[in-house]
Amino acid sequence: MTKAQAKAVFIWGTAFSTIILLALTYNSISQIPERTNQNKLDAQVAAGKWIWQKHNCNDCHTILGIGGYYAPDLTKVMSRRDPDWMRSFLKDPSAIWPASRKMPNLHLTDAEITDLIAFLKWVDHINTNNWPPKPMIVHVAGQESPGETLFKAHGCSSCHSIGGIGGHIGPDLTHVGSRRSKQWIEEQLEDPRSHNPNSIMPSFKDLSHKDIEDLVNYLAELK
Amino acid sequence: MKYESQKIAYKYFLLATLLFALQIVFGLITGAKYVWNIDPLIHILPFNTSRAIHINLLVVWLLMGFMGGTYYLVPEEAGTEIYSPWLANLQLYLFTAIGITAIVGYVAGWSWGMPFLEQPTILKLGIVAVALIFLFNVFMTMIKTRKWTVIQGVLLGGLVMVAVMFLFGVVFMKNLTTQFYFWWWVIHLWVEGAWELVTGAIMAFILLKLTGVDRDIVEKWLYVEVGLVLFTGIAGVGHHYYWIGTPTYWLWIGAVFSAFEPLPILFMVIDTLRDVRESKTVITNRLALYWAVGCAFMHFIGAGVWGFAQTLPQINRWTHGTQITASHGHFAFYGAYVMLNLTMIYFAMPQIKGLKNFSQKLGFKAFWTMNFFMIMMVLSLTVAGVVQVYFQRVLGYDYLTVQGFMKLWFAAFWVSALGFATGASMYVVDFLTLGEASPQR
Repeated sequence: MTKAQAKAVFIWGTAFSTIILLALTYNSISQIPERTNQNKLDAQVAAGKWIWQKHNCNDCHTILGIGGYYAPDLTKVMSRRDPDWMRSFLKDPSAIWPASRKMPNLHLTDAEITDLIAFLKWVDHINTNNWPPKPMIVHVAGQESPGETLFKAHGCSSCHSIGGIGGHIGPDLTHVGSRRSKQWIEEQLEDPRSHNPNSIMPSFKDLSHKDIEDLVNYLAELK
Repeated sequence: MKYESQKIAYKYFLLATLLFALQIVFGLITGAKYVWNIDPLIHILPFNTSRAIHINLLVVWLLMGFMGGTYYLVPEEAGTEIYSPWLANLQLYLFTAIGITAIVGYVAGWSWGMPFLEQPTILKLGIVAVALIFLFNVFMTMIKTRKWTVIQGVLLGGLVMVAVMFLFGVVFMKNLTTQFYFWWWVIHLWVEGAWELVTGAIMAFILLKLTGVDRDIVEKWLYVEVGLVLFTGIAGVGHHYYWIGTPTYWLWIGAVFSAFEPLPILFMVIDTLRDVRESKTVITNRLALYWAVGCAFMHFIGAGVWGFAQTLPQINRWTHGTQITASHGHFAFYGAYVMLNLTMIYFAMPQIKGLKNFSQKLGFKAFWTMNFFMIMMVLSLTVAGVVQVYFQRVLGYDYLTVQGFMKLWFAAFWVSALGFATGASMYVVDFLTLGEASPQR
């Protein structure tokens, strides 16, 4: 290969790739509004995005899979949490989620929290080509009970351990079914302070009746 | 060294070295938060702040190294003194002042909040000013003699591209997807585009001077390498557009182009080895040679192999946003850019200091220690990432529970990082005392 041919490789290679990027960028920009529900992107969502940036949330959390890997990905967080739970969590993170790895209290005002939740709700509806993927085991093995799935999804194991796996802030639940009745467990889930006025466990009363029932069944069988 | 103004590079290398040391300190603090449950610094220096400082210092010191390298290289290539040493100094002090303001600002909670681009807008404009001064000074030097070597052309092209791409990270966009779309034009088109051009040019210059091979051969390969880098890398940005709300066709565009990204890096390895084999001089600066060859290899493994391993959407779907990405990040930045800067520093420093011969004992210790422990760091993070992908993504365990499973590997990572810090300290001492020990090896 001569130097002139090498130069041609450089010029044409660069030009070709640049044209592809520019053309697809033009097309992507025209498709993004529909894929991200831009018509629902109001002033509140934009304000929430700025709260997200101002507090540098993205250097701990990932969103759309990008950012720091120190805290959970928040792309689909509003599919898992209801807004009231988020509100009380953001007011005082370590009281609601007393895990060992802590989120600092950002001392957000009520209005800021409302904006931030609006932003996260909007992000939740972005078409991400089905990312993050649904866990495989649910489809493949199907051995997990719905209650166990809920137990994992709601992060119960950050405080409670079962069979040695999980946190130690709340009681060990390995044999909880032999100690507590179904009714007691249901009361505990809906209003933890009914049994212990000083309990730091968050209430799960906002879960659907079916979810509560599944969780109770799962826990009551741990004997 | 032929020109007095090449000495400007020394100040850049010195500051780059000091900021590199500081980057490692913040890396150790950031990493410790994964290992120990209790974080005594949570109210002064929470994870997001220490991470922001760690990654900002990385970018700033690497850029300072590139600038120092440019100020060393351009006079020799153009055959003239730097257009304005005064501007070169001004630019260095401005850049340092902006960097310090940014770091102090992060601790005080002043942030723009996009990773790597956390600098508040006013500081970003300052960075643009620094870039303009730099480009002006470099361009005016090159145009004095109008000796347009390919090395100079590629270097200037790379530097202009660095500056232009940065502009896409300055504006606040309401739509997070659009914001990330153009955020990648900075992040990706820097590290897999513009920075590769700068690297290619600097490495070609060093190999040319070190081995005395024919300029035509070096420059021909440089064209081919950077041509392929841009061909695969520009549209290869698509591997970041799989899951962020962008159209589905990026899944195959990103896959096809980025699958070929390791190819030009492999060519760089072959090219480097051939230059060394066909060397026409006795290479006395073994240290610079080791860093150069080491850089070619680690660049290929860290950026090429570790990147390829997760670039296809079928795999990336599971690994995206996990410690797998972090392992590749550490390996690629180290192999490609940290090692390039250290190559340039070890190549230029003896000449700036006027040393015919120098003791390379401590330098070699630093070389082996840093490389060994960086590999250990990367392997630890990779295993942590595999554990994370399997339990969190495949089995569906809760995020924090899985972080507990990964603890052993975080610990291995942190201990390796301590080893790396030891190696880096040897380098800092060697840099500061170069030429003071007797030259027997």
